[in-house]
Amino acid sequence: MKIRKLVAVVLSAVMLLSFAGCGTGSADKKAVQSNEPAKTQDKASSVKEESISLTYWTLNTRQNAVDEIAKSFNESQNGIKVTVAYYDTDGIKEACKVAASSNTLPNMWFNWGGSLGGFFVENGLTYDLTDYAKEHNWDSIFNAGALNLCKLHGQLAGYPTSYNVLDVYYRKDIFEKYNIKVPTTFEEFEAVCATLKENGIIPISTAGLYGWHVMRFVELLFEHYCGAELHDKLNNFEESWDNENVVKALAKYQEFCQKGYFPDGFITANPNDTHMAVFSGKAAMDIQGQWYDGTIIQNDQDMNLYGSFAFPSGGTNRLSAFVEMTQFNKNNTAEELEACIKFMDYYHSEEIVEQYAEYYNLPLPKIGSKAPAEYVNVPIMIETSAKNGTFTITDQAFPTEIADALFNVQAAIANNEMTPEEGAKAIQKAVESYHAK
Amino acid sequence: MIRNRKTDYGSYAFLLPAFIVYFSVIVIPVFYSFYVSLFKWNGIAEMEYVGLKNYRNLILSDPVFLTSVKNNMIWIFLTLIFTVSISLGLAVMLNNNFRGRTFFRGLFYFPCVLAPIAVSIIWRWMYNPVIGFVNEFARALGSEWTQTWLSNPKTALYAIFVASLWQGIGQPMILFLAGLQTVPEEVLEAAIIDGAGKVRRFFLVTVPLMRETFIVVIATLIIASMKVFDIVYGLTGGGPNNSTQMLSTYMYIQTFMYNNVGTGATISCIMVIIMLIVIIPYISFTAKED
Repeated sequence: MKIRKLVAVVLSAVMLLSFAGCGTGSADKKAVQSNEPAKTQDKASSVKEESISLTYWTLNTRQNAVDEIAKSFNESQNGIKVTVAYYDTDGIKEACKVAASSNTLPNMWFNWGGSLGGFFVENGLTYDLTDYAKEHNWDSIFNAGALNLCKLHGQLAGYPTSYNVLDVYYRKDIFEKYNIKVPTTFEEFEAVCATLKENGIIPISTAGLYGWHVMRFVELLFEHYCGAELHDKLNNFEESWDNENVVKALAKYQEFCQKGYFPDGFITANPNDTHMAVFSGKAAMDIQGQWYDGTIIQNDQDMNLYGSFAFPSGGTNRLSAFVEMTQFNKNNTAEELEACIKFMDYYHSEEIVEQYAEYYNLPLPKIGSKAPAEYVNVPIMIETSAKNGTFTITDQAFPTEIADALFNVQAAIANNEMTPEEGAKAIQKAVESYHAK
Repeated sequence: MIRNRKTDYGSYAFLLPAFIVYFSVIVIPVFYSFYVSLFKWNGIAEMEYVGLKNYRNLILSDPVFLTSVKNNMIWIFLTLIFTVSISLGLAVMLNNNFRGRTFFRGLFYFPCVLAPIAVSIIWRWMYNPVIGFVNEFARALGSEWTQTWLSNPKTALYAIFVASLWQGIGQPMILFLAGLQTVPEEVLEAAIIDGAGKVRRFFLVTVPLMRETFIVVIATLIIASMKVFDIVYGLTGGGPNNSTQMLSTYMYIQTFMYNNVGTGATISCIMVIIMLIVIIPYISFTAKED
């Protein structure tokens, strides 16, 4: 009997020990695809003598290029290994938030500016690159506009990777077929939509599953009806959203919904699929940024069929703009930070960009950077943005809760559940609730 | 003379690892969630104690929360009616001996093994208003009654439920099939001899003898209905305009998108309370009858 007890105790101890040995301390990550599992920042990037392992999270639309880039970087660097995990547009926002609250952010991650990137700065999670930028003369490397948009809450919050402006991409052949000229006023734009609709073409391809794609059109209506000055004040919450100009903008959006200027069922359609309607000729226009030239090339479409124009919102026809950046974990050591920036410099070097051009938002936010010759719309958009001016894209100007309130208003108006007046009030209520927290 | 049984401490030792796992992965997080629900917290900064304020705010002044509760109740009701009856019906049919029975069992079970997010992608295309199968099928039958299934707040929840039903009938069907195997043949033969027809045999002999199976199936379906997340989030994200918001999706949005971790924890605690209110009386009632 004593032997039986002894055996039982020993076996239990063995099981317990084996269980303890199985734990790696690594947090589980929801990567869409990854080369290897990403590591926590606690047990993170191991610095063994000269060997540095880094983790990088980015968008899955770039995976084809980044897989190869990371591989060639790792091979060329003795002692630095970068492991990449991929997420879709909304997946990476959630993954980073989950990682932030569980202290498992990677060494570096893709992010946008505004409120999206600002969250990590506000909570002391990102490396302040102000001093690094000064020491390494980033003012002579990166565009001032891009660096400016990367400055959040008093710190340089990331390595600028793109400066994006949004335009109206359109099918030139469809416009030609129906004798449509590029509109230069808002009224002309409405007439274009009417003509397209009459001829069985969806005027504007959009999709509202996450709200931000429809928002690209709605914010242009805010720009048109509010004007640049009021629009900026609204975005900074210096003016109430419950005002007649916002109501007019939402009323026009409602009118566009009722006239069928958007695809059927667009409110829950996936925004990553809007290009399908345009590429197939079912829709004529889509509001996109300069990455769309790359999308056209990636999908083997004929670039000659596509053009872009600034939405005729009035005034100087400002374009919506935002920045993308790579943020670095505050807990990176100096060596790890250096290695991260080395990878970023490699990723955004001329030679690599030329090789994988369609996976970048070109031109890079670097002084003197140009887009490849086949990206015919990009130089026009960049020039237009410099001439016309820009405003910060709404879902980066807004905290997530207020942006969601706008997205709900978009859905409710499209489904006739809310009037434009109620929509304006709902947005203002969300602003007030957020600031009262 | 009754001998006292010696306690076999060895068995407890073998249970210890499982107990440690259960305690650390289930019990502690449950109590920690309740603790967090008493705070206002963004997951990173200092926690601010607010007592039951999160509960009051949700129940008394958050219309989206109330919509979520309503949607979950609707989901439970639809699950109990349709999932149970369809899976039971399939199990009864597939319990008969016929050629291809194994193939059909596999066919009806197959959707169950798909990841819910894959099911969302399939059904989003099925419901596509322009090229989706559902509307195309309706048009092929000569009907003009086509819908924007997922964009219309009146149809979105039910459209998601149909997708979930397609995926979800396999599991209870298998459990019912297993239950049907346990019904003794002799009892059925006796019923036949007594003159009972097929329907009477089913309802008066088979169903009562499958009590335990029904308890397990209904209890697990109710719990699954309260926790439903993937397919709703994948198809509509809780939209349009929160019309398909469920407690789990709202909890996710509050916690990971709005960084209101305290509110998210509160929703999870309320979910547990609702589940206990529904499940415990049901199981007690069925256990009493035993």
